[in-house]
Amino acid sequence: MGKIHESEFREGRSHPSDSFLRPEMFPTVWCPGCGIGTALYGFLEAGRDAEIPVDRLRVVTGIGCTGPIAGSLALKTHGVGGRSPVRFAIDLKARHPELTIGVFLNNADLMLSGAEGLKEAGRRKLPLTVIVVNNFVLSVSRNGAFPMTPYRRRSRDGRFELPFNIPDMACAYGAAYVARWTPLREGWMKESMADSFSVSPGFSLIEVISPCLLYDANGGRILDSIDRMKYYNDHSEIRFGAATANLDLRRRKTIILGVFRDRSRKRGEERP
Amino acid sequence: MNVRVFILEERCKGCGICIEVCQPRVLELSEKVNAHGRRVPRVVHPDKCLVCGLCEMLCPDFAIWATMEGDEVVP
Repeated sequence: MGKIHESEFREGRSHPSDSFLRPEMFPTVWCPGCGIGTALYGFLEAGRDAEIPVDRLRVVTGIGCTGPIAGSLALKTHGVGGRSPVRFAIDLKARHPELTIGVFLNNADLMLSGAEGLKEAGRRKLPLTVIVVNNFVLSVSRNGAFPMTPYRRRSRDGRFELPFNIPDMACAYGAAYVARWTPLREGWMKESMADSFSVSPGFSLIEVISPCLLYDANGGRILDSIDRMKYYNDHSEIRFGAATANLDLRRRKTIILGVFRDRSRKRGEERP
Repeated sequence: MNVRVFILEERCKGCGICIEVCQPRVLELSEKVNAHGRRVPRVVHPDKCLVCGLCEMLCPDFAIWATMEGDEVVP
């Protein structure tokens, strides 16, 4: 992997982020309008802003829709199946403390199969950046109910679930940095990721609320993915330091975004 | 001020996010179809571009970006 020269993107031959990417893997496998690629751009840009050397940036992914991130990057990546990616990242960070590790998870990786990883990350107090792309749907089972299915959505056989409150759970496990953004607030998301690289001790969790085409294909009300992205943007408001107990997505009309906990700043200190 | 908008058409999936977020309406969906069967965006008003970087930030496939003469990084 070579670093691309500035003249290459000035003359239109390659994208400014191409030094992190494997161009033969593009276009990516995600549906048009998915927010995972946007979250990935934010992560790479945050790494570039924080001036982390490319050989010290690692990405760990789980299974499911966020798994192909590992294939499309020219960084050293680890795609973990069958065990919790967060737990794998803890081992990696303990062995190589100089690395900056981003863990890309979908909601099933965090809440269903790898749920114990976050607890372990809070106990070990290692600086990891856990990015959860929450799209409310377990894509493999299409109409099944699972821990992040929204309130009043039923599965095909009439089952329902109460969704978990991911920021509150991360705070309870001892996270040092907890934030939640939507893909259209990309600038804020990028800043959050760049901030979370320097928070220590404790892990950072950033929840990205992303639209999913499969969610809409099965009787959803909003059919277009971009309309859904705009819907999340219009029905959200930014409240920094909001109490995490009220951040669930059960009955509320508005999604509350913001940075809910930041241990890198002292109490009462202003955001720069 | 010389602004140029570049699109790597073979990476595009035609989701249209760049067209939606561009406030000065620089882009539009063209009739051209790329190798993956997707309609790609086209630059119609390159002189209106403000180089805000929204299309570059929100493109999930790293397919579009804009440059401006005079903001080069001096080595």
